[in-house]
Amino acid sequence: MNNENKKSIKERTYSWLDERFKLSALIDYAKKKSVPKYRETIWYYFGGIALLLFVVQVVTGVLLLMYYQGTENSAYESVKYISTKVSFGWLIRSVHSWSANLMILSAFIHMFSVYFLKSFRKPRELTWYTGFGLLVMAMAFGFSGYLLPWNELAFFATKVGTDIAGQLPVIGEPILKLLRGGEDVSGATLSRFFGFHVAVFPGIFTVLLALHLIFIQRQGMAEPADWKDMPESEKKYIPFFPNFTMRELLIWLIVINILAILAVFFPWELGTKADPFTSAPIGIKPEWYFMFMFQTLKFLPGEILFLTGEFVGIAAFGIAGILWFLVPFWDRRTPSGKRNTIINYAGIFAVIFIIVLTTLGYILD
Amino acid sequence: MQKQLLNIFIILLLSIFSSLLCAQTKVQDECLNCHKEMDSEPANLYVTDVHYSKNISCSACHGGDSKSDDMDIAMSKEKGFIGVPARSTRYEVCIKCHANQETMKNYGSKLPANQYENLKNSVHFQPSYNNEGPIADCVTCHSVHNIKKVKDPESKVYPINIVSLCGSCHSDADFMKNYNPGLPVDQVVKYKTSVHGRMNVKGDPNVAECASCHGSHDIYPVKDSRSHVYKTNIPEVCSSCHSNSKLMSKYKLPSDQYDSYVNSVHGVALLQKGELSSPSCNDCHGNHGAVPPGVESISKVCGTCHVLNMELFEQSPHKKAFDENDFPECETCHDNHAVMHPTDKMVGIQEGSVCMDCHSNDADDNGFIAADDMKKLLDSLSAEDESTKRILAEATQKGMDVSDAEYSLKDVRQILIQSRTSIHAFDISKFKEAISPGFEIIGKSKKAGIDAVDDFYFRREGLGIATLIVTILVIGLYFKIKKMEKKKG
Repeated sequence: MNNENKKSIKERTYSWLDERFKLSALIDYAKKKSVPKYRETIWYYFGGIALLLFVVQVVTGVLLLMYYQGTENSAYESVKYISTKVSFGWLIRSVHSWSANLMILSAFIHMFSVYFLKSFRKPRELTWYTGFGLLVMAMAFGFSGYLLPWNELAFFATKVGTDIAGQLPVIGEPILKLLRGGEDVSGATLSRFFGFHVAVFPGIFTVLLALHLIFIQRQGMAEPADWKDMPESEKKYIPFFPNFTMRELLIWLIVINILAILAVFFPWELGTKADPFTSAPIGIKPEWYFMFMFQTLKFLPGEILFLTGEFVGIAAFGIAGILWFLVPFWDRRTPSGKRNTIINYAGIFAVIFIIVLTTLGYILD
Repeated sequence: MQKQLLNIFIILLLSIFSSLLCAQTKVQDECLNCHKEMDSEPANLYVTDVHYSKNISCSACHGGDSKSDDMDIAMSKEKGFIGVPARSTRYEVCIKCHANQETMKNYGSKLPANQYENLKNSVHFQPSYNNEGPIADCVTCHSVHNIKKVKDPESKVYPINIVSLCGSCHSDADFMKNYNPGLPVDQVVKYKTSVHGRMNVKGDPNVAECASCHGSHDIYPVKDSRSHVYKTNIPEVCSSCHSNSKLMSKYKLPSDQYDSYVNSVHGVALLQKGELSSPSCNDCHGNHGAVPPGVESISKVCGTCHVLNMELFEQSPHKKAFDENDFPECETCHDNHAVMHPTDKMVGIQEGSVCMDCHSNDADDNGFIAADDMKKLLDSLSAEDESTKRILAEATQKGMDVSDAEYSLKDVRQILIQSRTSIHAFDISKFKEAISPGFEIIGKSKKAGIDAVDDFYFRREGLGIATLIVTILVIGLYFKIKKMEKKKG
């Protein structure tokens, strides 16, 4: 009894919870979890940054949902109302927009770091697949969310974006109609995109994210390929909890600071309301993460052999995407500890290609 | 005296000589001889015709051989005799000479040779409703066999005669409805009530008649921009006489109206900006019944467009005062031909204000006090409008959305226009009623602008505080990690 009294409130609360939820087992597990410590450890944080930004997206998205109206006649007005009348509405909207872009940027960096560190190798193939799926879903979130304010730029960008999808043979036309809800971008498209953005995509994303996180927790952080033959004594680790977690928390705070500065100093503009009867304004652009594909299609000639340039471009991106997705499948050398320079070259080419084409997309406008 | 007699003798000698020369050069016209013997009316008329004086034979129009006294030869088809030219193509007979500058020159005529070119594009040369030929051709206006020079008082197209000539068709409702049932047929009646018409009736050939304004051969519908009386062409048409100081001096009229008008708000709008709703000369003076508006009816004339201003003026205390003093209503403040865009400087008690032309700084002059109040309120609203715009621009420049306030502020411009219009009631209470909503809008818009600017700084300050807190946390966490890892290591 005396011993019981001597325990602090913190200890007593822990005991109470431990008795019921077996917390000790979880803590023991967390204590054992470690992260390899070497010069590339910095890249390990980007997954966590993407996760933080996803949480920001969910929170701000839910707040925006309280005022947003996803119809042709009221979408623009409701976003304007949020930006001008609702207390801190401007901040929520701006954070939502900036956070979306930063999340996709983090996801890209995370994906390329995993790729170059060969962390996709056995036994982490499924982690790679789910991660790839999450990136695709994040881009789909971006594409659908871009239209929701129903402004001129978004309207015509969606028109161009869905037009590209419609170029595919056989399935192009049905996909186009499925996305647009008719022949043209209209109120029906807005309703669909709204539905995708707040119901369909979050469902899929949550499942993929849960799997991705479970896989990481079960398999732990990947070790560098050249550690395979290294003596255990030379390998360095830092405990996942609390060291790595606290470092991650520190980076999260920095990201939150950057996000706040961007949201306040560069508030996301609303532009003018979409008018389907006006001609497309000059400077129609997709979001930056689609720019490399958009610019490539613009560079391609109208016809290549007996196929349209656009089809060839879409097919090439499709094949490249599939190959990228299946990299753990066709890269047989890395898991066996051999060097596979093709992987590196392909990755470097992809990074340079994306950076150059994206830059050209903005310069040549 | 002797010298004068010698002069008269020389003139007489010259006259006789020239008559003999003419008689000798006149070609023998057997057509005319024969038809005169028959006492035919055309032949009798033709000797008075301008073409007869130019030694032009009947055969020039009718064909045949005018030198032969044998009727069968003279009027044979072999000799090209056509008889009476067909109604539909008789103009071709005229244009054989009148469309050929060389031929006209050979006859010693200085007439232009473009009448046909002008006529064939005109409204009169369109086919008649019964397909007889053009609605009006050369003969319709100039007649036949007794054609005179235009300056000949006997000519059907002489300025004194032309009104009845045009009226022969244009005053005939039955005839006109075949072509344009909507076109009025009272032009001649109205014309005779006009200053131009009254003097024309008295025999003054210098005043404007139909052709002076509408043209002669190149007549187009009024709404056709090629017409001499198309709205934008009217000032120049009127000025062709009214800017002629020599001509106007005969009538003791000024000749500066055109110059005043082209620089006026109306002239600039019509002639430079092409705003067809802006008045031309005839909109105030009338067209066929043109007279200067009377002093008391000026507001009615201006009021055809400026309806509200007219209504307000007529109920105002100025109406009675102006009538009593024979002041030409609107013109007293705004001028007539030189109407300028009104500015707020016109009202008030400062130098240059039109109010001060009549009102003075007397204790019992309510007009003076009202003018001062109106000016102050107008200046105040304009200044507030400008300063609010600046505040909203500052907010926009800072990235704040003040579009609602900017939209509301657009109403102030309308209120300013309404307030300026309400001046015409010359009643300070009505003026205040019109202008006060402007101050309410300004108040709300200004507040929205100031709030937005404040909000901008609030955001910056909020961000500063939030960033500072997060940065402190980052630093704290950094040292905590360092300490923790040092302890373990």
